[in-house]
Amino acid sequence: MNSSGTKFALGVYTSLFLVFLYAPMVVLGILSFQTGPEGGPQFPIIEWSTYWYQHLFGFTPPSRIAPLPINEALFRSLVLSVMTMIVSTVLGVSSAQAFRRKFRGSGVAFYLIVLGMMVPGVLVGLGMALVANVLGIDRHWWGTAFVLHVVYTYPFAFLVMLAILNRFDPSVEEAAWSLGVSPIRTFRKITFPLIFPGVLSAMLFAFTLSYDEFSRTLFASGRDLTLPLAIYGTFSVEVHPNVFAFGVLTTIFSFALLGVYAALMTLSIRRAKRIAIQEEA
Amino acid sequence: MSAVLDLSNVRKTYGALNALDGLDLTLPDNAYVALLGPSGSGKTTLLRVIAGFETPDAGSLTFKGNRIEGVAPHRRDIGFVFQNFALFPHLSVAKNIAFGLEHRDIDPVTDPKILHTRVKDMVALVGLDGLEERAVTQISGGQRQRVALARTLITEPSLVLLDEPLGALDANLRGRMRLELRAIRERCGVTFLHVTGSESEALAMGDLVLVLDQGKIAQAADADTVYNQPKSPAVARFLNCYNLFDGTLSGNGFVNPLATFPLGGAIPRQSGQPGYAIRYDRIAVRPLDEAVANDEVRLEATFVADEYSGAAINSFFALDDGRVFEVESHLSQTVPAALQPQSRYALVWKRDDALVYA
Amino acid sequence: MTIIAETASRAPPAVAAKKVSDKTLWLLAPGLLWMLLFLVVPMLMMVYVSFWTQTTFKISPILTVQSWVTFFTSETYLSALWTTVRIWLIVLVTTLLVGYPAALYVGLFVRNKTTQTVLLVFCVIPFWTSFLIRVLAWRPMLGKEGAINLILQALGIINTPIEVLLFSELSVIIGMTQIYCVFMVGPIAFMMGRIDQSVIEAAQDMGAGFWRIFRTIILPLTMPGVVVGAIFVSVMVLGEFATAAALSGRKVNLLGNIIVTQVGSLKWAFAAVVGVVLTILMGIVVAALLRVVDLRKAL
Repeated sequence: MNSSGTKFALGVYTSLFLVFLYAPMVVLGILSFQTGPEGGPQFPIIEWSTYWYQHLFGFTPPSRIAPLPINEALFRSLVLSVMTMIVSTVLGVSSAQAFRRKFRGSGVAFYLIVLGMMVPGVLVGLGMALVANVLGIDRHWWGTAFVLHVVYTYPFAFLVMLAILNRFDPSVEEAAWSLGVSPIRTFRKITFPLIFPGVLSAMLFAFTLSYDEFSRTLFASGRDLTLPLAIYGTFSVEVHPNVFAFGVLTTIFSFALLGVYAALMTLSIRRAKRIAIQEEA
Repeated sequence: MSAVLDLSNVRKTYGALNALDGLDLTLPDNAYVALLGPSGSGKTTLLRVIAGFETPDAGSLTFKGNRIEGVAPHRRDIGFVFQNFALFPHLSVAKNIAFGLEHRDIDPVTDPKILHTRVKDMVALVGLDGLEERAVTQISGGQRQRVALARTLITEPSLVLLDEPLGALDANLRGRMRLELRAIRERCGVTFLHVTGSESEALAMGDLVLVLDQGKIAQAADADTVYNQPKSPAVARFLNCYNLFDGTLSGNGFVNPLATFPLGGAIPRQSGQPGYAIRYDRIAVRPLDEAVANDEVRLEATFVADEYSGAAINSFFALDDGRVFEVESHLSQTVPAALQPQSRYALVWKRDDALVYA
Repeated sequence: MTIIAETASRAPPAVAAKKVSDKTLWLLAPGLLWMLLFLVVPMLMMVYVSFWTQTTFKISPILTVQSWVTFFTSETYLSALWTTVRIWLIVLVTTLLVGYPAALYVGLFVRNKTTQTVLLVFCVIPFWTSFLIRVLAWRPMLGKEGAINLILQALGIINTPIEVLLFSELSVIIGMTQIYCVFMVGPIAFMMGRIDQSVIEAAQDMGAGFWRIFRTIILPLTMPGVVVGAIFVSVMVLGEFATAAALSGRKVNLLGNIIVTQVGSLKWAFAAVVGVVLTILMGIVVAALLRVVDLRKAL
């Protein structure tokens, strides 16, 4: 497109659009350095301090503002995310593996899996709460909430693996079989190492989605809070900058995770590139 | 020679396509067998059925006296060399070669010392010395071919299937690998089933040459027999050295739209499909007015162009129905007179040189 | 059958449709079973329980349509249904209006592939931070003493702070627009990227102005992207309750919020009715959107 006036206008618009996307987080980050305990969640900044960060970790003298219940919640959230990550990645890899052969009913199976990421959390959450209620099962984050987390993240892992396996050359596996190596050992020694970057992506997806999930958890987890539920709990009460400080920390955590993933991926891509260059030479 | 593999009435269909249509096949022990088939003739399907990657719809496979239809690929003791080599990209040359021995289900070799010795021997056999620690992506096409072969041979299968193994190599290398493959096979004493779409490759390499046509073995014989006495017009066509005519047998002549060719003394071969074939190098090109002997057949055509290939010249003529007719003149015998493009000539051959099918 | 035959003849090995083999079954069974037990069964249970009898703190499996009658005669429930539909429609339009120009710029005007990727990554990065934190971040923005009011006052545009910015329907719409517009930008920018630049250049050579090109070429070609984006946004907005809970000060009650309150007061049958209504609403919306454009043809 070559109409410079339109291009310029749209460029300005897009910058404003990005400001719209980022401004709230920036403001939240600034306000997290408000002084405490008397400083409120608004401008102006009375005095810059890290009071609310210390408050989060319980390093401040007791005040009328109760600390966020994040210690145990963090533990639960991490355990839940890891459990979800493992199960949904295993399910995702094995289902995607099954989809490498065409079979009758593959369309129905595909939609059944993908439905898990489409149905809103409030509906599955409600459904699971009803099932637990009718069957007289106690709801726990490691039980009813966990299975719903997998319902949500497994489709993502499945789609990632499907994309990876679509590009996988099956003759490498057949070559291993023809050497007398059993399909299971072939999968472990050949297929898995070759699809590992994909597995890593599937794991990252599953972990972060589960770590951030709250609507399913809200209905299905019973009394014990996970991290998102602890934040959700503050919605109905007065908000203090400690929640903002917490928001900054979780955001940093998410990016650290993304950084680790990016580093691992760069390593494997660099290896692949080196190989490709040598191939050309 | 005893048989190592015996296929009987094997069928395999994909939808409406008959990839294998009641195929019978016997492979001798300790031999180099070349399987010639044009693309779409079912040759890859046949290999995949033998290897166990595909299940046949019907028929029996007997390998070393045992039926193997239901046996999984890794329990068959049949090696497979892929056209794209299918090396394990994340393993070194040595690890690729050792892979089968180390990880196979039956009788794996776990002692690193024995493993090392076996790999070393195999590396020497296929001529890969010094490359053991290279990544398989760091070596040339011909070297990859050797790794693929070594990886298979080290597990000592009784039969090795090679799916167009030279297809991915450039012409120079292909010529060298032909000799090497034959030599390596002789040292190992196993049967190679080498599938190819190139007639010269099949004829040059096979102790036994099989020709696959429409999901069946159309001919199984030594190279000389296949070349000089193709069993059917279809086989003759694959060999790429015969001019073929459709038509019917009538009395002492072969009738086709262009002319009626008088027949010699030989009895027409039964092939199910009438046809008339004359080899490229059995034809003489003469001026229109030159006389024709009693035992000769004459056909007029327009000269189009020729192609010089060192030892021979291939001349192309347009027949009156538009089809191309090819003549090969070996330069060691006679130097043919220069032909004028767009001029008409008489193409003459001996009646007895033609192959007639009924 | 003809399609299968065609595929088979093009690539013979391993492609023909087959009966489900044992291996496939074992690989697939755990995942499908999981989905049946924990997705399909709960959804069916929801439909079933919506016909149970609700007493103050309990439900009993005596089938009745009482809860349904209550839903469709209650002012509160019907107004929640209307609010949900209204907010959904508004957010659908705002995400489209806000997102489309950005997608137009990124997908069509930015020629450099790297710049394009960087811009798209910038759009996706906020998605990486916690959803609830992003919702909450609007509070210090929109409040009476929030950033927007401060800036507007400092610029002298207003004298007294605008109070309607926070704890109103407006704040819910602003929050949802910001959070969900990324799902509109992505698919539309993708379709923009697939437009053949030479078509546009040819139109320009013939003297067509930007608006004409936009209406006759760009808009029709990006419609599939709009529909995909609309499906994403619709499903998520219709299932929303957190943004309303955080930013409306209980003034906006969506069907999702009703479900949360009903479950909180153990009104299971009512909650189930609302859940079924929401499911049906969503089904209708997605089906209608899929009618607009034949995605299989378009993509």
